[in-house]
Amino acid sequence: MNRLRAAGPVAFFATLASLPSFNLAHWSINLLIFTLMFAVMSSSWNLVGGFAGYPSLGHAAFFGIGAYAEAIWFSHHSVSSGYEPFLMLPAIGLLAALIGLPIGAVAMRTRADVFAIVTITLLFVVQMFAFNLHSITGGAQGLSIAPAPFPAATYERPFYYVLVGLLALAMAITFAVMRSKVGLSLAALRGDEDKARGIGIRVTGVKLLAFTVSVGLTAMVGAVWAYYEGFIYPQFAVDPLITIAMVLMTFLGGRATLWGPVLGAFILESAQQYLAYRLGGSQVYLIAYALVFLLIMLLLPRGILPTVQDRIRRRRRRQAVDSGSPTRTQPANAAATAGGGQA
Amino acid sequence: MTALLEVTGMTKVFGGVRAVDGCSFTVEPRTVTALIGPNGSGKTTLFNMITGYLRPDSGRVRFAGQDVTGLDAGTLYRRGLSRTFQQARVIPQLSVLENLVAAGGYSWRQLLTTRRVGRADRDRAGELLEEFRLSHVADLLASELSYGQRKLLEFAAVLMSDPKLVLLDEPTAGVNPVMIDTMERHIRQRHEAGITFLIVEHDMSFVMRLCDPVIVLDQGKQIFSGVPAEV
Repeated sequence: MNRLRAAGPVAFFATLASLPSFNLAHWSINLLIFTLMFAVMSSSWNLVGGFAGYPSLGHAAFFGIGAYAEAIWFSHHSVSSGYEPFLMLPAIGLLAALIGLPIGAVAMRTRADVFAIVTITLLFVVQMFAFNLHSITGGAQGLSIAPAPFPAATYERPFYYVLVGLLALAMAITFAVMRSKVGLSLAALRGDEDKARGIGIRVTGVKLLAFTVSVGLTAMVGAVWAYYEGFIYPQFAVDPLITIAMVLMTFLGGRATLWGPVLGAFILESAQQYLAYRLGGSQVYLIAYALVFLLIMLLLPRGILPTVQDRIRRRRRRQAVDSGSPTRTQPANAAATAGGGQA
Repeated sequence: MTALLEVTGMTKVFGGVRAVDGCSFTVEPRTVTALIGPNGSGKTTLFNMITGYLRPDSGRVRFAGQDVTGLDAGTLYRRGLSRTFQQARVIPQLSVLENLVAAGGYSWRQLLTTRRVGRADRDRAGELLEEFRLSHVADLLASELSYGQRKLLEFAAVLMSDPKLVLLDEPTAGVNPVMIDTMERHIRQRHEAGITFLIVEHDMSFVMRLCDPVIVLDQGKQIFSGVPAEV
């Protein structure tokens, strides 16, 4: 049973790891890199927006903080082997988590829609800093990082493998959360935070834990992005669209699931990158985003995975009823009577 | 014998309304104390202040010999002071079993290192499910339960942490007569096992059968305290 459950992730990461050896075209590995970035980010957004139920719209601020931390550091330090910027990632994640701690402590005193507005304000505050602190961020002219001295034919591979590693990290954290009592606590506070407080759940602690880990991971992706792009500007490093992509992907795949955000990222980001590559860099995809969001809300309000899981569970219940198995039918009947009693 | 809960001079003002006005009383250990009074006499406000949901404007709360005024509801719960709500509140999207396990009052170490629902949790919760006759619905979502079952579940859940004092806010409101008897039986059982209760209740026959002493509140003040027969 356990071996069977491990087979999925092992096959997934083995496939990811072997993809570059097929000598993919540059544009397709570039597409994969962006898909992986968003898979990591939506997985980490899921910790706050999915498990804790706090819809943060400010995560792009931390993406930007990670990007600027990387760019600022390497505008003062040289890159020789090309791997130094990757070695900085843990420190950048930690820095963003430390910055996120007081911000989360204040912002998470609000809930739901107010929390969304407070966090989106944060995004614009960080963007404003990026534009105006000329001496540190270079203002609107941006910053550049020396290009990595990797061979041109396989230039993207190190970035790719680092992102596969980050995705494994993000998913391992998600899995650990789901399996532990932290996940149970988050689910309880998502359901009814005041009640959760009253049954001894460390509400403030667990939601801050989720927030800091989440923004730390997001900042690490920002740092990889800055290094990959080689130059950053405030409007792209701190971009509301990045936040919206994370939210949309998580909603599409299914909130508070392990694979949902990854699935959402692979569908949306690869589709968007592919279209942008085929149709040129117009912003038509923004309209498509809005459309996708509306469609998700209409057809799959809970996302792909929860809907599919629900269908499977219902079918199993029905089959159990048909075959007359007493252990399975009992809960189904009890559910029916309980529901009937309420109505 | 020192009081388990000691409330002195509690006051809470909402705008121009003095919801609770210099209220003082004590709850002795191993009693089932009732707190009664007309609607709007400040019972629930008092509950909210004692259990850390609402900060009092003035007054102190001492619990088990320590000043606990203004402590967080979760901290109080983990110290052994737990409560239920007037409208039964359970976590709707968790299963009945998970609702119990979530209420275990865990340390950070336990949160980070133990399974979501481990074997020990299952055993512990299983006993309570058995006691409250909820075993057959253990795997249903709490949102699928009837209102009476939810009240039982809420009561059972706060027992997961071995509380010293349980505050019940109208345990019989909105449930059928059979369920009222069931509730009474569970309170008696747990009282015999050593738990102290403070109960807000409007059902007077329930109060008369079960509680001693009775505290009467009116307009935010205590106007009587004594044995039920004298009320």
